[in-house]
Amino acid sequence: MSASLIARSAVNQRIASTFARSSLRPLAFTARSVSDAAYVPGGPIYKGTVNDPTTFPPPSKTHGSYHWAFERLLSAGLVPLTAAAFVTSGSSHALLDGLLGMSLVMHSHIGFDSVLVDYLHPRKFPILGRALTWALRATTVTVLVGVYQFNTNDIGLIELIAKVWHA
Amino acid sequence: MQSVLARSSALRQNALKTSVRSFASSSARAQAVPSEKPVLNKQFKIYRWNPDEPGDKPTLQTYNVDLNQCGPMILDALIKIKNEMDPTLTFRRSCREGICGSCAMNINGQNTLACLCRIDRDSGKDTKIYPLPHMYIVKDLVPDLTLFYKQYKSIEPYLQNDNPPADREHLQSPEDRRKLDGMYECILCACCSTSCPSYWWNQDEYLGPATLMAAYRWMADSRDTYKAQRKEKLQNEMSLYRCHTIFNCARTCPKGLNPAAAIAKIKLELAAE
Repeated sequence: MSASLIARSAVNQRIASTFARSSLRPLAFTARSVSDAAYVPGGPIYKGTVNDPTTFPPPSKTHGSYHWAFERLLSAGLVPLTAAAFVTSGSSHALLDGLLGMSLVMHSHIGFDSVLVDYLHPRKFPILGRALTWALRATTVTVLVGVYQFNTNDIGLIELIAKVWHA
Repeated sequence: MQSVLARSSALRQNALKTSVRSFASSSARAQAVPSEKPVLNKQFKIYRWNPDEPGDKPTLQTYNVDLNQCGPMILDALIKIKNEMDPTLTFRRSCREGICGSCAMNINGQNTLACLCRIDRDSGKDTKIYPLPHMYIVKDLVPDLTLFYKQYKSIEPYLQNDNPPADREHLQSPEDRRKLDGMYECILCACCSTSCPSYWWNQDEYLGPATLMAAYRWMADSRDTYKAQRKEKLQNEMSLYRCHTIFNCARTCPKGLNPAAAIAKIKLELAAE
């Protein structure tokens, strides 16, 4: 799976880089060069004729409205969670500690993922984009495990923040 | 024509009355001498790029225009430059009254219609005119809007209704009609889409504010029965959800519309489904 992904992305990139090199030369908008040139996302070559509408990716609520609603509800939920953490202490409310740790990490994961989708999407950066997406996922899992360990075996997130706050 | 006839007959009567005076001297006396206005030169720095010399980099070319010999709008200055100084300057224009959307360009850092943008009469400051940002340029101030139109086509911007009333036109209550106000006025000048950073980075996949507002215009239409299909198209990561509520679209719209509000309503309707 990953080998074929890398192979495919390498081919994509080779096409992209040859196009980039050829586009350093003057952009000649003759009919011949347009039909010969490869499509590059965001490039001057379009898919199909000028009269064809652009196409949509396959519909998926997970990537669409569910993702958006979850992201907004999570952000809104963080406000009372943070307030609750201020008025209580973490050691007596282990559940609150865990919830805050989880949602903070997920909130930042969605934020960073949005940055990658905006600026380093795999369709434009087949290798770097995918590598960073997986690096982000690995980091998130590691941090989640770390927060869990810290909350169960040490003083916990809220206590730590309180200590740093008063230090 | 009539006035010319009237004037010439008046002149003839005048010439008959004072037959001593020649025709030329009487006509000079009859014409009002325009009061001389002082010269008010202003610099216009305009983006130039010629596809016939593709090796040359785009440059800013400076033109001096006497504002007292020029109309009040940026488009008047552009037309004056093209007529009197440099016929090679290329830009789109048509209606010169903000209804066709042809003359959309970036003037002093703001996307707007040249025909609706007044010239700043401060001659100390220059005016910089660029084509719409982050678009492929055909020539000078003419951007390639092919993708923009292809995207507009993709949302099927026309009424779709499988059960049209057999004997009459579609009826709509005034309340339902009012829902389309602020959206149907869009002239597709592309000022909003090309001011959107998300559209700059991802315009091959993200539809952009203009197209999304057009999409919502048909979703909000009480006569359209394809709401579900229209919504389902946008259920993906890129087409709609690359909007990060930056609001450049609402700020720049030369027609005073609010594409950001339309996009927010689409998001709400998709989430409430």
